[in-house]
Amino acid sequence: MTLKHTSNYIFIIMGLLILLMVYLQFSIDESTENLKNEEIKKSKQYAESIAKYIQAEADGPLLLYLEKNAEHREALNKILHTFLTKEFQYIFLLHKDKKGHYRFLLDGSLEDPVEYNTIFFPKSKRFNSVYSTQKTQIIKQSEGVEEIWLSLLYPIVAQGQTEALLVIDLSESHAEHLNSFNSPVMDMVKWIQLFLWVSLLFLAYVSYNFYKLRKSILVDPLTSAYTKIYLQELLERKNVNQYNAMLIDIDEFKQINTKYGHESGDTVLKMFVKEMLTLLPKESYIIRGRGSEFFVIVAKESADIEELAKKFFKYLTEKRYLIDNETISLTLSMSAIVIPEETDSIFNIQRSLDEKLLEVKSRGKNALGIVGNVSGDEIKYKNLDYIKEALEEERLTCLYQPIFNTRTQKITKYEALVRLVDKEDPQKLISPFYFLDMIKGTTQYIKMSKLVLKEVFHALHKYPEVEISVNLDLDDLNNADMMKLITKQLYRHRGLANRVTFEILESQQIKDYDEVALIFQQLKTFGSKIAIDDFGSGYANYVYLIKLDVDILKIDGSIIQEFLYAPERTKIMLNSIKNLAEMYRYEVVAEFVSSKEIYDMVSQLDIAYSQGYYLGEPKLLESYLVGSIIDKKE
Amino acid sequence: MYHQIFSALVSKPMIHVYTNDREYRKVFVTSKRMLLSDDSGKSDIILITNKSTLFQIMKERQWADKKDEKPILFVTDYRLLKFSFDIVGAFYWKKGRSQLLFIKNRLDPYNITLPDEYEDFLVDTL
Repeated sequence: MTLKHTSNYIFIIMGLLILLMVYLQFSIDESTENLKNEEIKKSKQYAESIAKYIQAEADGPLLLYLEKNAEHREALNKILHTFLTKEFQYIFLLHKDKKGHYRFLLDGSLEDPVEYNTIFFPKSKRFNSVYSTQKTQIIKQSEGVEEIWLSLLYPIVAQGQTEALLVIDLSESHAEHLNSFNSPVMDMVKWIQLFLWVSLLFLAYVSYNFYKLRKSILVDPLTSAYTKIYLQELLERKNVNQYNAMLIDIDEFKQINTKYGHESGDTVLKMFVKEMLTLLPKESYIIRGRGSEFFVIVAKESADIEELAKKFFKYLTEKRYLIDNETISLTLSMSAIVIPEETDSIFNIQRSLDEKLLEVKSRGKNALGIVGNVSGDEIKYKNLDYIKEALEEERLTCLYQPIFNTRTQKITKYEALVRLVDKEDPQKLISPFYFLDMIKGTTQYIKMSKLVLKEVFHALHKYPEVEISVNLDLDDLNNADMMKLITKQLYRHRGLANRVTFEILESQQIKDYDEVALIFQQLKTFGSKIAIDDFGSGYANYVYLIKLDVDILKIDGSIIQEFLYAPERTKIMLNSIKNLAEMYRYEVVAEFVSSKEIYDMVSQLDIAYSQGYYLGEPKLLESYLVGSIIDKKE
Repeated sequence: MYHQIFSALVSKPMIHVYTNDREYRKVFVTSKRMLLSDDSGKSDIILITNKSTLFQIMKERQWADKKDEKPILFVTDYRLLKFSFDIVGAFYWKKGRSQLLFIKNRLDPYNITLPDEYEDFLVDTL
């Protein structure tokens, strides 16, 4: 569960709690309101009965009837009083005099009864409204009114004229009584509400702490730049290919900390980020990496990354910072990249930028390196997770390039070249250029080697006439796991091992020749042969001929290619290698034979074996096992 | 509330009010804009809450020469209005509703003209 999801859940819970509270309150209010409406309905029926009774008693003009006879008034007052139950506070009859003042006609109260014709000021204008419209109304009492919940105003009409207004005041105590009907439920609801409020407060408190925590996780407390977690969240919402990126590292920042103290170092970092912010276009983000390293992503439409990187580099290296009354400037190592459209992972971009930054640093730092046009394949395949998945799913195959006997003009051997298979397109093979360096030294490399050996031995088993050479890095020989794997495989397939050649490629100079010689010997005990790859270039030099017991020298392609530019001098060199090899009884293979011209020269020199695109490009083994290559070419 | 009513009757920054009702005295003694008077004759307004006080005040007032110099009488019971034409108005409760009432022809001898907002509470006669 991510932080973002946690916050969503908290808000959902808070929202649900509020909705529940509102619902409970609404339900109770509605239930109470229904009770009250019932009571009002009943009061209306009462009012109607009283009015009818009074009119029946008067049996004519009401005002005249009441005005003339105090006994009639007294009798009707008593009748009104009989209606005064606990629900009703007051029942009285009013009429409007010629000047528009209301005056009492009847009053049902026994206690402090109002005299006939006493003036009365109603607190509501609705009295007039009922008088004129002749429609019953219910009014809620307002300021200046006590003990009354509602007043029912009932007009007594005769011959189209309003004669009087019957007022029935429903008592406040009755409203409380009605409220108390739901009071046990209401009490429960109040407790629930209290609980919900406490829960809400608690949730609010938790949310506050959560956001504080979240902020501290997403924003670097020192520089206020974002953290890598923020970047991760951002790229969950947005596509990485909408941005371009830069990696900026302050050179020798440790020296600032050492010389001026960590506090000053921190101040420099803060100022540095502030300066960066002034240069950034909209929709850009600064993410602090390790120490003084900052990863910057900029929306593609906001700026040209190359220009922006140059501007950054110039401005930030020219900027001077005041520390301890001393002004210092910083030197930076920077790399920038235009993120290809087909990219979907930021990690590959970071790796490309890291590599470029490393290159800048290795060249003496204080420079900007722009990562050149990177292909989509490069971004896609230079992804450790992708490669790991491919190896786990054993999406690996080998292509085979023939090694040709120049004298017999027949294929004598094939060099196995590893390829991974694209996940989406099984026809597409992934060159080791994309992944080999990345997985070297890891368990994935061992896994890949195991799969290659499995494939090679399977081919050897299937085609008994075929010999295959397998590439092996000198580093592999120093790797105990790798050697265990190779020797185990050789032992398991010891009947086939004599048709395997290990082509040893150096990535560094041999330090201990004796140890290497011993390993070679170990491989040779199974009947396998040892070839020195790329002989004549790099570390693969003549000392090998003295110190190591090998079987084959594969002359480096760069020497062979020189045939095209300096044929005579190349011939001398190749003759020399060939003669030496013959004296040591080593076989010689010319690599990179890419044209007929080169092949002819190699033949003229009587170099026994050739390999190159002219003779055959890497293909599935089956495609070579029908007829000879020369036959096909001819 | 009483200050508001009395201000309509007396245009003075500090209104002197006399009442012998203990409860009302408590109200007026805390007022900042009304001064509780101990001498009914020297007050601006006499607030009468019962019949016996009314009769006592009426006796005392017989000695006064000019009516417009006498304190204004104001009551807290509708029924008291009927006992003296000197009483200009009343503030009381009837059927749970507060009632304010001024009688026009009783205000005239005091040369009192009420502000417009009291128009609705002004009656010619009881």
